[in-house]
Amino acid sequence: MFKLNLKIALRNLWKNKTSSFINVIGLAIGLAACLMLLLYVTYEWNFDKQAKEAANVYTTMTNIEGDNRKISGTFEGSVTAFGPAIKAALPEVMYTARMDYGKENLIANGTNAFKRKSKFAETDIFKMYDYEFIQGNAKTALNNPNSILLTESTAKLLFGSTDVLNKVVRFKDKYDLNITAVIRDQAENSSNRFDYLMPWSFYESIDESAKSINWSNYSYVTLVRLKENADLAAVNKKIMGVIKNNTRDDFQTQALFPLSKLHLYGKFEDGKSIGGAIEQIYLFVGLAFGILLIACINFMNMATAKSEKRAKEVGIKKTIGANRTSLIIQFLTESMVLTFIAVIIAIALLELSLPAFNHLLNINLGISYFNAASWTGILAIVLATGLIAGSYPAFYLSSFNPVQTLKRKIGSKGQWSVSLRQVLVVGQFCFAIILIVATLVIYRQIQYIKNRPVGFDINALVEIPQDGQLKGKYELFKNELLQSGAVSAIFQSSVSLSHHGSNFMDVAWEGMTKPTNTVLFNQVATTYDFIKTNGIKLTDGRDFSKNFASDSVGVLVSASAVKVFGYKNAVGKTMSAFGDKYHIIGVFDDYVWDSPYKSNNPMVVFFDPRRTGYITMRLNETNSLQSNIETIIKITKGINPAFPVEVKFLNNLYLEKYNAEKTLGILSNLFGGLAIFVSCLGLFGLVAYSAEQRTKEFGVRKVLGASVANLMQLLSLSFLKMIAVAVVIAIPVSYYAMGKWLIKFEFHTHISWWIMPVAAVGTLLMALITVSFQAYKTAKANPVDALKYE
Amino acid sequence: MIQLTNIEKYYANKGVKNYVLRLVTTTINQGEFVSIMGPSGAGKSTLLNIIGMLEEPTYGTYHFMGEDVTSLSERKRIELYRNHIGFVFQAYHLIDEMTVYENIEAPLLYKKVGSAERASRIADLLDRFNIVAKKDLFPNQLSGGQQQLVGIARALAAQPSIILADEPTGNLQSAQAEEIMSLFKKLNEEEGITIIQVTHSEKNAQYGNRILHIADGVVKEDVAVLS
Repeated sequence: MFKLNLKIALRNLWKNKTSSFINVIGLAIGLAACLMLLLYVTYEWNFDKQAKEAANVYTTMTNIEGDNRKISGTFEGSVTAFGPAIKAALPEVMYTARMDYGKENLIANGTNAFKRKSKFAETDIFKMYDYEFIQGNAKTALNNPNSILLTESTAKLLFGSTDVLNKVVRFKDKYDLNITAVIRDQAENSSNRFDYLMPWSFYESIDESAKSINWSNYSYVTLVRLKENADLAAVNKKIMGVIKNNTRDDFQTQALFPLSKLHLYGKFEDGKSIGGAIEQIYLFVGLAFGILLIACINFMNMATAKSEKRAKEVGIKKTIGANRTSLIIQFLTESMVLTFIAVIIAIALLELSLPAFNHLLNINLGISYFNAASWTGILAIVLATGLIAGSYPAFYLSSFNPVQTLKRKIGSKGQWSVSLRQVLVVGQFCFAIILIVATLVIYRQIQYIKNRPVGFDINALVEIPQDGQLKGKYELFKNELLQSGAVSAIFQSSVSLSHHGSNFMDVAWEGMTKPTNTVLFNQVATTYDFIKTNGIKLTDGRDFSKNFASDSVGVLVSASAVKVFGYKNAVGKTMSAFGDKYHIIGVFDDYVWDSPYKSNNPMVVFFDPRRTGYITMRLNETNSLQSNIETIIKITKGINPAFPVEVKFLNNLYLEKYNAEKTLGILSNLFGGLAIFVSCLGLFGLVAYSAEQRTKEFGVRKVLGASVANLMQLLSLSFLKMIAVAVVIAIPVSYYAMGKWLIKFEFHTHISWWIMPVAAVGTLLMALITVSFQAYKTAKANPVDALKYE
Repeated sequence: MIQLTNIEKYYANKGVKNYVLRLVTTTINQGEFVSIMGPSGAGKSTLLNIIGMLEEPTYGTYHFMGEDVTSLSERKRIELYRNHIGFVFQAYHLIDEMTVYENIEAPLLYKKVGSAERASRIADLLDRFNIVAKKDLFPNQLSGGQQQLVGIARALAAQPSIILADEPTGNLQSAQAEEIMSLFKKLNEEEGITIIQVTHSEKNAQYGNRILHIADGVVKEDVAVLS
């Protein structure tokens, strides 16, 4: 029976080529989109979940106290004393590992030098991650202070092979380290990735602040593995006790948070996780299944539209002994066959489009990300798709009464089924229109933020990291560059102009009313020519200058900082930070440095030549860009030969700030387009079928004198009416939804009046083209052919 | 075999009852070949549909093989279709997507007949009806007469005890019609299959051994055919 059903299903597919094509292609696109998004979701969902013990590993969060004993901010970080303290005090804690955040640092095998991500960690990190050792083992890898562990690709990069045990590499052009282990590269969806790992004991020997066990410097990461089934709330309560014993803080400055949740639930309010990237994951899952549903609806619509043809078959089969079950099985077999063909095409489509997709989103996904469990999932999706797509036709068609179908009397059910079909089409186009509006609004928002002035001219600015010799020989470097004429101005600073906050709160000012400050300030340390180079607008006072020896205790402050201080004429007034007193010598306008979507913290610029980090230069625009860059590279190489030269353009760095929203924009664009395409495909199928059914009627009408326009109108109008209804429903929904999305941003555009008409007219136009193509073909046909047909 | 008692069928339309059948009472025995005749709209097909359980009477009782089947569950009805009743239609109603062979095989599949048994029965039928050469063709590749032969072969495949035929020769030329009617006669006489057919043609009715004349939903005459 099954074999026969299968054979008949294939014959049916072959016989009705148009509708099969529409169904298979529609479903394939829907499935491909669905699989692609699920691939992305799987990737995100499995962040930090690869290790066996992942569920028991926690990271330490730092809470910042705000007004009214509320927590004003939470970030991943901890003090050096925290790990040892809780390990000693809490029985639930099995292992702790202190780490730094990781940084791009120079690693070299002779002259073969690269900047790669370094990390320092305590040895118990091996109890949290299951690194796969190619050389060496976890027991000995980080025991010696001068040992180093490389990843496979770093070893290959430096030595061309992984057989590198006991060879020596040079770190930061200063320290020779002995390779004790090589591990396989870590999964890309892992928060604590590194290219090479060094022992914490080594870090203590080269960094004073890492060595000092203290409760005040929140610059480190502490990973903690708890016993299985430990109660996190109880553990955090005990941690509070440990904090009280060691510090004067009376609120929870440090708390554990599951490491595997940090990536998706990393948004905190008042110290509690309130979501984060997980919202986007939900959105993508919704999008994926939405598109698949559209394709399923196409299938259902085509199947029920053809019901008259199939009804006869049902009637006959019932009189020769088929029961309802066997008919349902037959129809489901048909939809399953179709879905399986579609999924094969979908996987092919996926393979073809993945490189482009990866390129767009700047990630590296492969079908191999799907493991056995995901393949079972895909199979489940395919089965579910087949069932959903086939269920309505199967149950609907199999319910036909044989006598009625054989007498061709199935008019009475018409009212109901047609209206359901209409509802489905309206639903499809609602979804499509909402996606168009979303795309337009997201695009407008990105444009709006991009067009928001940064606060200075970023176009001729470049920066390089201040590595190696550039720290000590900055003055020499500066003079050589200025003499070469490649740059017109230059400054060094502790952070890049485009940086994430380097926050502090230990600030006091004249006439301060509160006992302690609760506003986060951002700090930058620089030397001369800060304003001259970057061109940020100085509203009052002056830049740091060699003419004033007292400038070492001078600061520049941002306009928003002045607002916090409440100063009228800020220049000449004082403020203190970390207990030292500073004179305000200049006030500058706030500029965009962290997120372009919200206003950034008030900023204080200190004068400190010891705090090096980045060198920023304004290019001399009378020379060509290329010659300027070549000169910079040449001079840098001359002074600092051990390090590769990385010249970065400020405008590129600022562009990267839009990545998250750009991803959203690309995805809604892509999948919105697909949704509309699949919807139109379905509409085309329905019109084609309705035209085929009415061939005779059209022939008669033509003979009676109907014009092509009359006939086209007759065929198109009912379909266009459905689209119009979809427009009416979708516009307010999308207006509301996108309004909600926009108010999440402090700086946001408004939904322009023209977006809604553009989306509505665009969709109608596309539907009109789809419909009228078929309508024209039918209307132009020779009436004689049509009348001979029956 | 078939016992109809006071069968009535009407359609109520805005309170007015339109009678199709009125107080039909008759008995058809095993081995009979009955022709139902009458003008258009007399209720012939409705009567046949009621006998075939495709429609339910509004009033009256119907016993099939001693069992009251007046209102039967779908499951039981299908059980009867699989084992006892074969249908032959004026428009043949073969399944377009299936070959001749598959059309004949279909009822056997529903009846869950084993594959060896199936093959031998189909081979036998194809042979008997001289359509072996056509077994891999689709219905639209056959003439009307050939299609009806396949239709009858399909009806016989499940070895029914009764065949219900609604104007089986209505769409056929007279030569083909004669062939079909002699086939029915042969089946009736040699295998004892009960046959009930609806027909317009007096000539076709002569092949059977009993004629029910119906007009305006009432059995006017019930006569035996003298051969």
